Amino acid sequence: MKRKKKAGTIGYVIFLSLFLFVMIAPMLYMISASFMPQSDLNMIPPRLLPSKATLENYARALAQQPIIKYVYNSFIITIIAVVICVTAGSMASYALTRTNIRFKTTFLVFVLAISLLPTITLINPIFKMYSKMGLLNTHIGLAVIISVLDLPMTIWFLTAVLKNVPISFEESAKLDGANMFQIFIYILLPLLKASIFSISILVFIGAWNRFLLSQVLNQFEDCRTVVVGLTLYQTTHTIPFGVVAAAAMITILPLLLMVLVFQKNILGGIMEGGVKE
Amino acid sequence: MNKKSTRMGYLMLLPSVLLILVLILYPTVNTIYQSFFEIRTQTAALGPKFVGFRNYVKAFQDEHFWDTLWWTLAFTAVSVALELIIGMGLALLMNRKIPGQGLVRTAVLIPWGIPTVVSGIIWTQFFAQNGIVNSTLAAFNLIKEPLSWLGNEWLAKLTILIADVWKNTPYMSLLLLSGLLTISRDYYEAAEIDGAGKFRQFTHITLPLIKATMSVTVLFRIISAMRVYDLIVAMTAGGPAGRTETVSMYAVNTYFTYGNTGYGATLSVLMLIISVGISMFFVDSLKTKGSV
Repeated sequence: MKRKKKAGTIGYVIFLSLFLFVMIAPMLYMISASFMPQSDLNMIPPRLLPSKATLENYARALAQQPIIKYVYNSFIITIIAVVICVTAGSMASYALTRTNIRFKTTFLVFVLAISLLPTITLINPIFKMYSKMGLLNTHIGLAVIISVLDLPMTIWFLTAVLKNVPISFEESAKLDGANMFQIFIYILLPLLKASIFSISILVFIGAWNRFLLSQVLNQFEDCRTVVVGLTLYQTTHTIPFGVVAAAAMITILPLLLMVLVFQKNILGGIMEGGVKE
Repeated sequence: MNKKSTRMGYLMLLPSVLLILVLILYPTVNTIYQSFFEIRTQTAALGPKFVGFRNYVKAFQDEHFWDTLWWTLAFTAVSVALELIIGMGLALLMNRKIPGQGLVRTAVLIPWGIPTVVSGIIWTQFFAQNGIVNSTLAAFNLIKEPLSWLGNEWLAKLTILIADVWKNTPYMSLLLLSGLLTISRDYYEAAEIDGAGKFRQFTHITLPLIKATMSVTVLFRIISAMRVYDLIVAMTAGGPAGRTETVSMYAVNTYFTYGNTGYGATLSVLMLIISVGISMFFVDSLKTKGSV
């Protein structure tokens, strides 16, 4: 019996290592390739590790596209999107859990339903609307539509969290004469700090990675996001993989740091929030 | 609660409602409306011309639309099924109290966190003519000539599916894990005393108890798989010869490359109808979710 258990543990460790390898290997290969000199990349069979590490690919990635500019655009757009999404979302969840408004369930179901819409049903009217309003190729325009797409998730997440926050804190504040807005700002927001932080990170990653809308709405270089910019490296086949890998590394660096530093918040956010694409 | 607080409640809901009305509801209604018109960018000066259901008739006779639709649906069915099976296995593993649990959960976040475009780029390179997959197969004498993975319709589809499963299984497994964590250990202990084996425990306790979580997770994965766009843009750009083009890609091209707004709207509405149709199967699970 004991031996059987031991065999089980070994089998488990092997499986686990294999699994970890499959999850991480593609990433590791990309990191490795981004430091390979051109000659390594042309080898058959392909090398897994650079013969000598070089920054040549990064230099070319920076020279071929204004990728730093794209990263900057992504940052601005993503941060505006997070702010709008979390502000509107926390206000809505407050209204849904702490006031007597009608149609609460209807609203929640409706919000869930809109997150099931295909993006292609929105894209052309938004393009036309933005074109009329001068919002094409702007940070704010793209940020607003991206924030709305992440709003359902935010509202659901924060509503679920708020339902579990005891109301007693608010009642004592109410006795002290605070109005609802003050209660929201001074009592609930501090209590929700951790949850708001978690959902902000989820929205940040989601917004950073949005592709279709960014590609269609911000077509010009000055406001192009980095995920769209990255695909431009591929358009000509003469560009070696090392350069694309380096560009991809630049694209995901902020995300990678975020995942590593805030993994606990992210896991908590995903698992408490339930649903996100 | 008093009237003032109710008014405050509506006020606080207002920003969300406005955003949704202007940027989700209006565009959707507008797209449905436009699907009944002949509108082309090239002849914009003539204005839209009402054509009734003619765009829809055209779609039903459009072979390319059917090709993209079948591929989109097949992609969705196969990828979601694989992700559910593998994701469930992973979730069961992660649910055990084991050393290295933290490491596994972090590793899982990497495919989830990186942009779809990047995972497309990596997998395209793996399956390139002189890539790792071909040279590994050649090393084991499984192939004589390097396979043109992305140049052959079926191999390209397989490659796209692999990349998608790699990217999305982790997320699926985390959501399933969140369902598993809510199941009390007591059930399993009771079942063990009654002599139920691991498999019976899974089918009789685990599955029924996470059914709601599972259905909602699957629904959201189905809907997002049906929108597939960036993965394929990054991997094959629809090729070879448009054989891996999805409905989303076809609609976007119809809108912005061919400038055929009316027909693009029709394709989008057909997709919308299919999404709604699929969601209908999940209404019960959504209701459970709605009563959180």
